[in-house]
Amino acid sequence: MKVERCLHPGRVLLATLVLASVWPLLAWGHVESGQAGGFLSGLSHPVSGLDHVIAMVAVGLWGAQLGMPALWVLPVAFPMMMAFGGMLGLVGIPLPGVEAGIAVSAVVLGALVLGQVRLPLVAAVGVVALFAVFHGHAHGTELTPGQNAMLYSLGFVIATGLLHATGIATGLINRWDLGRQALRGAGALVMVGGLYFLWSAVR
Amino acid sequence: MKRSNIVAPVAAVLLAAPAAAQAHLVNSGLGPFYDGALHLLLSPGDLLGLVAAALLAGLRGARAGRLTVTALTISWLLAGMIGMRLPVTPDLTWLSVLSFLILGVLVAFDTRLSPLAVAALGALYGALHGLLNGSALAAMRAAPSALLGSVLTVLVIALLTAAAVVPVRVLWARVAVRVAGSWIVAVGMLMLGWLAQGVA
Amino acid sequence: MTQRRLWIAISWLILSFGFCGPVLAHESQPGLLELRQLGPERYEVIWRAPIYYGRPHPAELQLPPDWLTVGEPTLRQLPDSALHRRVVDVAGGSIDGSVVRFPGLEATITDVFVRISRLDGSEASLVVRPTQPYAELRGERPWYVASGEYLVLGFNHILMGIDHLLFVLGLLIIVRGRRMLIKTITAFTVAHSITLAVATLGYAHVPGPPLNAAIALSILYLGPEIVRVWRGETSFTIRHPWVVAFGFGLLHGFGFASGLSTVGMPKAEIPLALLMFNIGVEIGQLAFVILMLLAYRSLRVLEFRWPRWLDFAPGYAIGSLGAYWTIQRAVMMF
Repeated sequence: MKVERCLHPGRVLLATLVLASVWPLLAWGHVESGQAGGFLSGLSHPVSGLDHVIAMVAVGLWGAQLGMPALWVLPVAFPMMMAFGGMLGLVGIPLPGVEAGIAVSAVVLGALVLGQVRLPLVAAVGVVALFAVFHGHAHGTELTPGQNAMLYSLGFVIATGLLHATGIATGLINRWDLGRQALRGAGALVMVGGLYFLWSAVR
Repeated sequence: MKRSNIVAPVAAVLLAAPAAAQAHLVNSGLGPFYDGALHLLLSPGDLLGLVAAALLAGLRGARAGRLTVTALTISWLLAGMIGMRLPVTPDLTWLSVLSFLILGVLVAFDTRLSPLAVAALGALYGALHGLLNGSALAAMRAAPSALLGSVLTVLVIALLTAAAVVPVRVLWARVAVRVAGSWIVAVGMLMLGWLAQGVA
Repeated sequence: MTQRRLWIAISWLILSFGFCGPVLAHESQPGLLELRQLGPERYEVIWRAPIYYGRPHPAELQLPPDWLTVGEPTLRQLPDSALHRRVVDVAGGSIDGSVVRFPGLEATITDVFVRISRLDGSEASLVVRPTQPYAELRGERPWYVASGEYLVLGFNHILMGIDHLLFVLGLLIIVRGRRMLIKTITAFTVAHSITLAVATLGYAHVPGPPLNAAIALSILYLGPEIVRVWRGETSFTIRHPWVVAFGFGLLHGFGFASGLSTVGMPKAEIPLALLMFNIGVEIGQLAFVILMLLAYRSLRVLEFRWPRWLDFAPGYAIGSLGAYWTIQRAVMMF
């Protein structure tokens, strides 16, 4: 039987992952419209705060600049650290200056991308992990009454991961000369955005 | 913290919600077999660890995949049959979240366990969730074929997922698998936080 | 050699649920509710409740409280259904917005078609499913709502038709090569679409019991062919599986038609219903084929192995299940 030849391993894996990320939407959207709310609000939450969005994307951009080990270590470490921050927030351990911390993270990440700063892997992961904790603490914990916590968390993690992936995918233009410059420009934008949010946070 | 003042109503609603949700089985309109399958597909708590176990097994190669898929499915079926006879639904939410969190960590770090160890973990997971799943089905007065439907779904998901990972050699694809593991860990940690608040 | 063994595993999977649920092995006949306007405020209500696994159907018909029954309701027992008829007076004359309920339907796998025909000649139809056992009566539905309903109906019909799925599985085992697979599945699809259309449009009718027996016979037919494949022998079926798929596909199409009742359906809606129902069936069938191929590939990738004696089991199992159904359904004919 030669049918399975069209089922190339990479394609199958990709299809599986894509299916896995849209499945909650398909399933709950269809059966229990009340339950889908938790998933959708989790999904939309990270996207709704621009400070959150630009920081997430910046992490991806920076990862793409840093190249090989960081490019894959960061996406693995980031969601876990962010959820750790969220867990701290939920358990009730306060984190001082969360709003300012998020804005600062955007400024710093923007600066790192702008300057194409190459930190050693451990330091890079450390910086990103610190910011991830802040983001998780601020955003991972806002559940609308009546919604399912599991679905909310799932939506939240998927949306954050996809934002991050967007950053990495965009960052791949780093290969070309023009792309490299464009990437630095994007870093500058992120930095300006971060400064604006910082200003609104401390005002 | 601005959150604290909404915790109480949230907790009240959410503590009531699962009870209401569990009162009846999701109706697929296609009889108990498909009802059971659909029930599993709509239980993210069961699915996350199932996928994590299959990913872990897939990363460790064909033998680990084969053993894990077999062990997990059989233990799920047996524990499910026990669960369907339990008079009460045990409340093991903590353990259930912890179990998929641990499997997720193992995937995220691409831990080099032996195939037998992976299969043993899979069997443990299958036993725990089979029990929970079976007792949940019993609480909804589902027919035995609902359990069969959910176990066959478990088998298919584990089989397809593990087999999708085994042939993967390219770095980015293996990383994608590990990222999936870290997402599962992230959901688990958030859930632990919600549980600590008494919300989930 | 290993390929065959892999198919065995898949066959066992399917068979395990074929055996466990004789329930699934039956065609599920839909119910039918007809509302015909007789006068300005008067309607005739005909409720055809299909026989459900040899018993009266557990679902009841619950009309809105403000519909007053005129005269005595009548009940006629038909071989395959119970026909309840009554005449009601509806105050104000408008049934729009009224809700008709079917208590008990949620515990079954029966779909109910609701047809409304009014004095002004307008007709409407809708489908009630066990997941939502009530119908809110309205005039015209937008075409996409109707399409969606018929699509789901077709999809569910094939999922419930374990005999059709088993036949497709048998074909999958016999077929070798991608080209042949595509050819065979296409032949089956074309054939059953033809007879589904012929039966739905009313050009031909095959009574249920002999049809079901013949469908069971088609499964029985594949059993020996599978064994032949595994022995390394050849036959006409093995060389040209698409011809067999086409031939028996004609038969299976009549079976699919039993899931789509067009009695009293507005003429204009029949083509749409037929098309969408057929598409639903094809989506379900394709999903099944893809799932089976994926499962087959997965078993291969994970290098599953089992004892030699299990090799022949699925051929015999498909054959005996086909034989069992053939006998059972043949007995039911008399």
